[in-house]
Amino acid sequence: MPLVTEAERFIRSDGPDKVTGSGRYVADLSLTGMLTAKFLYAGVPHARITKLDVEPARQMSGVFAVITQDDVPERRFGSVADRTLFAQDVVRFEGEVIAAVAAIDDDSAQRAIDAIVFEYEELPPLTDLEEAIKDGALLVHENWESYAAGSVVRDGNVASFTSIERGDVDEGLADSDHVITSRYVADASHAAPIEPRGVVAQWEGDRVTIWSSTQVPFQARDGVCETLDLPSNRVRVVVPHLGGGFGGKCGFHYEAHVAALARAARRPVRLVFSREEEFLAPDRRREGMIVEITTGMTNDGDIKARKAKVLLDNGAYSADSSFFPHMAAMHAIGPYVIENVSAEASSIYTNHQPSGSVRAPTAPQGCWAVESHTDELAAAIGMDPVEFRKRNCVDTGRMSATGQVFDEIGLQQCLSDAVDGLGDISNLPEDESIGVGVGWWGSFPGASGAYVKIDSDGRGVIITGAQECGTGSVMTLPILVAKELGMDPDDFELVYQDTSAAPYDSGATGSQTILNNGRATVEAAQQVAAQLKDLAAKELEAAPEDIVLVDGRAHVAGSPEAAVDISRLARIASRGEMLLGRGSGTPAEYPSAVGVSCVGDQDLSWWVGPQFSCHAARIRLDRDTGVVRVLEVSTAHDSGVIINEVGAAGQVEGGVLMGIGQALTEGTVYSEDGGQLNPAFLDYKLQTIADAPRIKTSFVEVHTPGMGPHGSKPIAEAPNVATAAAISNAIAKLIGRPVRQLPMTAERVWAEARS
Amino acid sequence: MTFTRATTIEEAVTAMAAGARPIAGGSDLVVGARQGKAPLPDVLVAIDRIDDLRGIETSGQGLRVGAGVTHAELIGNETVVSSYTAVADAAALVGSPATRNVGTIGGNVMNASPAMDTGAPLLVLDGHAVLKSVDGSRSVNMADLWTGPGRTSADPGELCVAIELPPQPERSGSAYVRLEYRRAMEIAVVGAAAAVTVSEDGTIETGRVALTAVGPAIIEVADASVLMSGRDAKEAGAAAETAASKSATPISDLRAGDDYRRHTVGVMARRAVKAAAARARGETIAVPVNRSAGVGAAS
Amino acid sequence: MSESLSLTVNGVAYSVNVDMGRNLLSVLRGELGLTGTKEGCDDCECGACMVLIDGKPVNSCSFLAVQAADRSVTTIEGVVTPEGLDQVQQAFLEKGGVQCGFCTPGMIMSARALLDQCPDPSEEEIKIGLSGNLCRCTGYSRILAAVALAAAAD
Repeated sequence: MPLVTEAERFIRSDGPDKVTGSGRYVADLSLTGMLTAKFLYAGVPHARITKLDVEPARQMSGVFAVITQDDVPERRFGSVADRTLFAQDVVRFEGEVIAAVAAIDDDSAQRAIDAIVFEYEELPPLTDLEEAIKDGALLVHENWESYAAGSVVRDGNVASFTSIERGDVDEGLADSDHVITSRYVADASHAAPIEPRGVVAQWEGDRVTIWSSTQVPFQARDGVCETLDLPSNRVRVVVPHLGGGFGGKCGFHYEAHVAALARAARRPVRLVFSREEEFLAPDRRREGMIVEITTGMTNDGDIKARKAKVLLDNGAYSADSSFFPHMAAMHAIGPYVIENVSAEASSIYTNHQPSGSVRAPTAPQGCWAVESHTDELAAAIGMDPVEFRKRNCVDTGRMSATGQVFDEIGLQQCLSDAVDGLGDISNLPEDESIGVGVGWWGSFPGASGAYVKIDSDGRGVIITGAQECGTGSVMTLPILVAKELGMDPDDFELVYQDTSAAPYDSGATGSQTILNNGRATVEAAQQVAAQLKDLAAKELEAAPEDIVLVDGRAHVAGSPEAAVDISRLARIASRGEMLLGRGSGTPAEYPSAVGVSCVGDQDLSWWVGPQFSCHAARIRLDRDTGVVRVLEVSTAHDSGVIINEVGAAGQVEGGVLMGIGQALTEGTVYSEDGGQLNPAFLDYKLQTIADAPRIKTSFVEVHTPGMGPHGSKPIAEAPNVATAAAISNAIAKLIGRPVRQLPMTAERVWAEARS
Repeated sequence: MTFTRATTIEEAVTAMAAGARPIAGGSDLVVGARQGKAPLPDVLVAIDRIDDLRGIETSGQGLRVGAGVTHAELIGNETVVSSYTAVADAAALVGSPATRNVGTIGGNVMNASPAMDTGAPLLVLDGHAVLKSVDGSRSVNMADLWTGPGRTSADPGELCVAIELPPQPERSGSAYVRLEYRRAMEIAVVGAAAAVTVSEDGTIETGRVALTAVGPAIIEVADASVLMSGRDAKEAGAAAETAASKSATPISDLRAGDDYRRHTVGVMARRAVKAAAARARGETIAVPVNRSAGVGAAS
Repeated sequence: MSESLSLTVNGVAYSVNVDMGRNLLSVLRGELGLTGTKEGCDDCECGACMVLIDGKPVNSCSFLAVQAADRSVTTIEGVVTPEGLDQVQQAFLEKGGVQCGFCTPGMIMSARALLDQCPDPSEEEIKIGLSGNLCRCTGYSRILAAVALAAAAD
């Protein structure tokens, strides 16, 4: 059962700020003397800069600073260090920043941008993944070998390569009764948070404070330090309220650009993106992908071998995309028991916008491909697709395709619960059908810190490095602390997302907040609990180990009448050794891979704290037009024990809608030369409330030791894995075969049905 | 930029004669300017507070809809819903409640977008735009008004003051159906309007069909009446489907390919005829057809 | 060209000097300091900028400030009553209809307008009433539930 159930109506503490409009986001901040920033973008996907003259802009009235790469240190950054803050010599995608302006107002900034002399010689754009890896293909980065890249395996336009091998796949295929090959293509898509990003920077002496709409304030700070040569304690990154991220605001973005502008202008500077910039410029969009899967199986439906080849569109630069091939390979293999596997995945440089971590990177597309393929397998032998999955999916004690034996997991239960959640599906109208997809996703243990203090009036503050991007994870921390201290969550306020106030946390990324910062916060609370027990023991003349903390009071176990209020203990403590806890905890260890060989290993062949899910969708198809409506989605998730049911269910529901968008309407449309044709909500279509189906959510609460507090696992990304897969399989049932391109637009469904 | 506010039609046309552009709700102008498509005109005259542009009146001559009537007001008007139903179908699909509160029929008509939803209904219901300038007034039928994407035959000094629609005969009905990828907030990929009259046995007597977003302007399917006459709704719908697909001259763009548009505009035409015929027979199909009939568009 | 403009927002009369080409959203957020109304796009697609003009929802990003002269503008800051949160605001909190919160002010304005016009809406009426407001976080389930709860409580 969840620690706090839906029925308890837990109200998040930032809720009142948000429903009244009093909560401040970056674009809402203004500082005395503040200037407006604007960027000059490349505007073309691939070109050599032949002239860049910013002097005319510098001479204009109302313009305080104009900077280019000449005005900042020569530093390359990224998971492959392949880019600089501003373009140098060559531009590699249309949204690449050439120069930045700080001016007194929007109009002056725009006039200055227009006055910059920027001339270039166009180079042929590289946009096709399969062309890019042919011999003799034009190189997106001619000097790729000179970039620092750690252990990333690279070659020319291959920005990162990973293979996973186990058993003998050729022999496995040869021994199979049926061998089926499928090819799927996923278009790129976007995180599309409703808040476009913003950055404000202000220098005081040699210290800078940066307010940024980042999901990862510490990473943003480190990026500023790295690119502007600053020590970490002189850069403070503060995030006011963050208007959604979904991975799109991970990484280090424009904090250094704006800080450098503010330093040059000697004034505070604010950058706020338009929606179009939000689509075109950031190095975070969901990667396009080509997936080819070959599976061999027996007549009885036992999978014997699987071969997969995945090409990912890296885009022009490698912000954080180097681990994507390994992740994509895992999704192409899927949560199945297979003795022989061979998967190869490459992330390919193109002149598209860079790809970066968007909510469960590589998973929705990879899962869509492998799960559509799975239904093709079941259909080939006339087996019910749910039965086929039950037969082949991993389970407690069964060994996965990459040689991992799982402790207790709930995937098989998820399959049953999700399908059962749809109710009676025996007599669907002829234009309706259901489809099912299963998915997996890891947990990512890491360092994280927090403080807990209780002041003299018995009220507490949690000071945490964690970042709240909307999911409610940070808002859940008071529940965990209150539980340790026998207090009410409302007794605690939060100080969060400020790199100078709190210890490190990796941010709202990888669904890791409760997993890691929850553990840290609990440890800090336990220290305070020990202090309270010591104090109570003295007051009550008992042993500290006999004291329990309940309902805001401390008493001897079994004798609730002999009690002292925690507020009284807090008053005593405030005069001496204060109630102050700090925690970071010990992250769970990553298992090491056994029985599997891996080139370009990014530590992802095995999952630590694996999460499993099954989504089942009921759809209706308009056969004449190919328009699909999703009527109902039933989901079941093994994300361990649930802490906050309202928050967790909210993650599932939001993930489902994002998944429907990816399935049906959300895809970047490119022109032939690599420019985005739909950088606006008019033609990049998020699902509306009118499209929202009924969503049923079941949690298969497998208590998972060693992971998050109370046996929990993460939840934010996993719901974004299997929805498109379920919809694909429902469509395939109605038209006889899968639609092999994502999104499965009405036109594509119609064309496939006619073919 | 200068901005003046007219409170009478005369003030407005006087300002327009001096070069002002009229602004009613302003959504298209402001959005266009913000996206850099076209800067705001130097001289604007607001027409949103002119009482004479705001009413919906019925008379022996039919329906007169003031150019400043919003989409929300059209959906709320009983006569529009009962007798000019295709207009209501279309108005109910435009944008969101907010856009329907701000956007006006006059603004729509004069913007002359080939993707405008109210266009095909006005065409099949024989709508006329009443244009007024300092030199006088004239009435132009829709087909003559729209000359291309964003272009009309109106002079810059002419203000659209009303849309007039003739009385609808007995046993008549109309409908507008649009292809929708989502259930709301869509811009027409294709759409079709039909207006028909039926005989006592329910077969089609006369009919018109017009198409959205498959040409440089809203286009009418030629000879639709001949093709449909004497047939039942199903046969007439099939005939309209074929004729609509033939009449369409769609482009391929990011919203759809030309083949898909040509096919689906036929489907929309068939569905519009079917719904219009049902309404002509006295059956109730709630406005808008798209939403009352389920997936995407009426099936 | 700047001109003096009289606006009444949340019952307060303001006189501001602005260029006549300015949209209402930028004047609310800039000159008037009412930043509760958000900007999420620039083409009436997201609804984060929703305000009420004479009680009806309007995308303030695409509405000239001067068009709002002499009309009654209500922003999210004007929804709170002296007694505390409005039923819609309270319901969004209780049902978990708020995540990142960026769409929330616009959602609440659309919901308020809907309930004022249609006190007992069906699920479909709520869906159409809020269809001009995009939310990326919640999947809308809890927003629907919140509006239904507010309707029951109103």
